[in-house]
Amino acid sequence: MTTLGLGVERLEQALLGNASGLRVCPGLAGKGYSSAVAGQVPEPVFEQLRDRDATHADARAFLLANAALSEAVLSARGLEAVSPSRRALVLSTTKADMDALERLFRREPCSAAARRHIQPSLLAEDLAAAQGVAGPVQCVSAACISGLLALKQGALLIRRGRADAVFVAGVDLLSHFVLSGFTTLKSLDAEGCRPFDRDRGGLSLGEGAGALVLARRELAPPRAISVRGWGVSDDANHLTGPSRDGSGLALAISRALTSGGASAEEIDYLHAHGTGTSYNDAMESRALRTVFGGQVPPFGSSKGMLGHTLGAAGILETILCLIALRAQTLPGTPRLREPDPAVPASVVATPRPAERLRKLLKVNCGFGGTNAAVLLERNGE
Amino acid sequence: MSDKAILAASYLGPAGHGNDLTGIRPWGAPLSDALGRGELGELHWSLVFASDPGRFARMDYMSRLGLMAVELLEAGLDALPVRTRDRLGVCVETRAGSLSTDVRFLQTPRASLFAYTLPSTLIGEICIRYRLRGPVLCLMAPTRLGFASLDEACCWLDEGEADACLCLGCEAVEPETARAMDLETATSNWHACAALVGAPEGRPRERAMGSGTDSLLKTCLDLCGQRPTGVHPVGAELPTNAPGRDPLAKAALKATLPTANRD
Repeated sequence: MTTLGLGVERLEQALLGNASGLRVCPGLAGKGYSSAVAGQVPEPVFEQLRDRDATHADARAFLLANAALSEAVLSARGLEAVSPSRRALVLSTTKADMDALERLFRREPCSAAARRHIQPSLLAEDLAAAQGVAGPVQCVSAACISGLLALKQGALLIRRGRADAVFVAGVDLLSHFVLSGFTTLKSLDAEGCRPFDRDRGGLSLGEGAGALVLARRELAPPRAISVRGWGVSDDANHLTGPSRDGSGLALAISRALTSGGASAEEIDYLHAHGTGTSYNDAMESRALRTVFGGQVPPFGSSKGMLGHTLGAAGILETILCLIALRAQTLPGTPRLREPDPAVPASVVATPRPAERLRKLLKVNCGFGGTNAAVLLERNGE
Repeated sequence: MSDKAILAASYLGPAGHGNDLTGIRPWGAPLSDALGRGELGELHWSLVFASDPGRFARMDYMSRLGLMAVELLEAGLDALPVRTRDRLGVCVETRAGSLSTDVRFLQTPRASLFAYTLPSTLIGEICIRYRLRGPVLCLMAPTRLGFASLDEACCWLDEGEADACLCLGCEAVEPETARAMDLETATSNWHACAALVGAPEGRPRERAMGSGTDSLLKTCLDLCGQRPTGVHPVGAELPTNAPGRDPLAKAALKATLPTANRD
């Protein structure tokens, strides 16, 4: 569920076509935000979802996440062998139903269902109930690395023997709250984000939901993609800005490689955080050089496609990685025009067939100096 | 499975503050009046820190509480070698997270406030203050603060992800916000507890499991409304891989509460 609409096929088409879902949103213009360019879920999509679930008509975060979960569960094979008590759910979000909080703040009508979802953990509980999950439920809220942390927690629930299948979802809404926040930080690019571009001027916000189904290896199809390892770190440096030397992200990547038993040379592609802010992209470039030296693997960012969807970013971008692994295509970097000379030359501007795409790293960074990396591997070679 | 112990524990809440060496110390007047009513008073750094830790004045209540709880551990984090700090995890658990700060930001959007509109900002503050490099995790608790973070810490130690872990439960909701949002307010609106979980080697047993620690953890549980049943003594080791959802937290708690301190 993204600015591109409903379904993985939309993401696949956009990835292969290097398309951008960012656009000038008339509803955001003239409200004091420093950019009206965003990755907003089209209102007809919400209307479609409300038609399906009238009881959650104004619970926008639930509608998005539940639709993404339903889509993922529907397409997952082998789930019928897993009893509800062995199914778990991990939700990633930064602000849950911020729309509901804003309405309460403005003293506007807000249903009890939406009001519950101001608390992220209750949103997770309700999603679990809607999806028939009777096993463990977790909710991760750790800024923009929430999605990758949720993926890690899901994999750990299986590894620790506490579940056989885990539904991992991420959701965040485009709200006055986050638009105001990033405006105060002067982080928005008025023209729309251009990750790793010489003329990049900031990020673009987006909204959406994504969901993945993780399963114990024996239950998964032979060619399912594995979550091999992960690494998490903190810069211990600054609350809202990345460390200048990229050492925190480099540490997270190194931990992921160690955890997954892979060497730096084995990485075929790295899907970057790539927000399009000057500091982030410079920091990531340094981190990549620290880990990979002069042999930085092909890398790119999809923030120019979907915008920065915050708590959903790690999940949605992991889905893009899965599409790339299946299609054996190196994703491009939508909206990148002229690569910054300071960025490693292996940045991929437009998608191209991969000579080999087996091991892939997905990284994200967040407020609080947090960094996360997840190692994915295609099986069945 | 590695040997694990709660090496230190601390608590701040309306009743007072303390750690495993000092027990609960009531807040002095005039703080006790306001804090006893569950109101978030002015938490000055001097209540806990020997000197200004820096940045304190700009922090929101959640970060102040969490940082004070960590400092109260008196765990000597400042003196740890780099290698140890790079292997010390931080796991925060909260129910309402930054909700009160979110409301303040809606009232007055400011960049300095926006940074605190995430529950995980506390992790950043702790890592900056004590120069810790993770791993890190922030879990949103369903209805009451449990001890999922303790369970996570035990797993990290078993799985080799960290050598030790700071676990924090932290809540800071202004009563007005709680009422407006229909949040459950049967328990304290604000409190923080912290525990340092690690291998007990080289630590005096009484330090690792002092009676103060037990009573503090029990106090935390009481305040969080989570009274474990069937508590029995199992020593300092904390179990992992316990089955089920809720039993996880309870299993970890059972291990920390010897018979002498249960009720």
